[in-house]
Amino acid sequence: MDSHDSRRIEHEAAAWLARRDSSAWTERDEAGLAAWIEASTAHRVAFLRLEATWAACGRLRALGAGVRSGTVPRRSQWSGLPSTRDATPDHPGSPRTVARRFRTAWAGAALAVLVVGGTLAWGWRVYFASGETSYETVAGEMRTVALADGSSATLSSGSAIDVRLGYRDRRIGLRRGEAFFSVAHDTRRPFLVIAGGRRAVAVGTRFAVRRDPDETRIVVTEGVVRLEALAPRDGSPVPSALLTAGSIATAHGSNVLVRAGSVADAERILSWRSGYLTFHDTSLETAVAEFNRYGSQRLVIGDAAIGLVRIGGNFRWSNSEAFVRLLESGFNIRVERLPDRIVLHSR
Amino acid sequence: MSAALDSWFTREILVHEQALERYLRRCWSHREDVHDLRQDIYVRVYEAAGKALPTAPKSFLFTIARNLMTDRLRRAKVVPIFTVGDFDGLNVLVEDDSLERVSGRQALARLAAAFDRLPDRCREAVWLRRVEDLPQKAVAQRMGVSEKTVEKHLAKGMRLMANWYYGGQSADSTGSAREASDDDGFTRQQAD
Repeated sequence: MDSHDSRRIEHEAAAWLARRDSSAWTERDEAGLAAWIEASTAHRVAFLRLEATWAACGRLRALGAGVRSGTVPRRSQWSGLPSTRDATPDHPGSPRTVARRFRTAWAGAALAVLVVGGTLAWGWRVYFASGETSYETVAGEMRTVALADGSSATLSSGSAIDVRLGYRDRRIGLRRGEAFFSVAHDTRRPFLVIAGGRRAVAVGTRFAVRRDPDETRIVVTEGVVRLEALAPRDGSPVPSALLTAGSIATAHGSNVLVRAGSVADAERILSWRSGYLTFHDTSLETAVAEFNRYGSQRLVIGDAAIGLVRIGGNFRWSNSEAFVRLLESGFNIRVERLPDRIVLHSR
Repeated sequence: MSAALDSWFTREILVHEQALERYLRRCWSHREDVHDLRQDIYVRVYEAAGKALPTAPKSFLFTIARNLMTDRLRRAKVVPIFTVGDFDGLNVLVEDDSLERVSGRQALARLAAAFDRLPDRCREAVWLRRVEDLPQKAVAQRMGVSEKTVEKHLAKGMRLMANWYYGGQSADSTGSAREASDDDGFTRQQAD
């Protein structure tokens, strides 16, 4: 549907109503209006809305009391109304006493001081709150940090984020590694995670972003995240996918692959948060890469053939030694332990 | 349709427009769609109420709003990319400064604030016609313009007042300023 359709109808309804209000209104016009209204419910509701507004405008007469006929009063001089905006000064023409005016002036001055003071305090807070804070983890370390807006970020091993909580948005730069975000709900300040030429936009949700040299992965466990590509030229965002809970998106160059699975699957991928790596029919090559990502001890596959072995299970990522021992005892794998790495050979 | 239904719609549905707009703006990030969405929601509410009058108008309104957004998401094959938000999560709206709740004086204050934000000529026309109760012809003479022009000022005044009085933009001046200029843009477009 044309997004201007409703505006066009609103304009037509207003034109009808204004014409009905004129002295040139005839019976034929009346029939024309009736036909226009009958033509569609959209016409009818638009007309009703404006008609009700125009009727309510009649109450403005209450403001006209005491105003000299034929003059349109200045703006914001309506006295005594419980305004939600700002304190309005007394009506100049109203028969109030001088004392009352002085009181109002003092109240006004006090209010001004409050407003100025408040604005300064607020500005100060916003200014300083928007400074950048960085968090890092070294290999083998995992850490959850609380952010000032009530959100939290769990940094996986060897990860780094830069956090900038501004007034308009909350910006997180994922410099390397992976982080899981539990985002505090705040519709006025979207939560943006920027990684590898893309950004994930959330309002209040839980998701993880992982940055690899050639791809970026987003896993959503709750709520909805909008994935946007950042134009290389000026960094302006271009929407590329809407990710619901359970989605696993892998962005590779200009392509995005979205796998919409169950939330349980998504949670499983993020089991590193509880200190585990979970594999399910995973090639040894991938599993080793995962261990290398999280653990501090480097594993190397000696023969390409064993990289194809499929494995499954739950392993503590800080304990690659246990993983290696299991491989040694359960598979046809020989382990060579070197000072800086562990090499896996076929037996 | 009956006058009773019309007045029910004004009394029970329109008064929630501010909350409805806030809800739509939160769920639907294509701001320019909100006007259109709102219109469609009103149409559905009106037509459904013609068959059976709902007992809880406000929750009925929001249920229809949620269903409509879900339908649109489903129908649109490419568009929903912009849309972020969990409609169900935003199901319950507590904030309630709907016109049915506010007192007569507060409603008048809202009306006065809306009136004060009208463009000068528009404001003058509305005042002379609605407060001083001058016929359009006399308003035209007073303002030194044609009756047709007065009619245009009034039509614009009605639209802006509706958006500010019923709509969700009365507290947020930047949004409404933009809305007003959007509006002018549209008028110009129409005139071309």
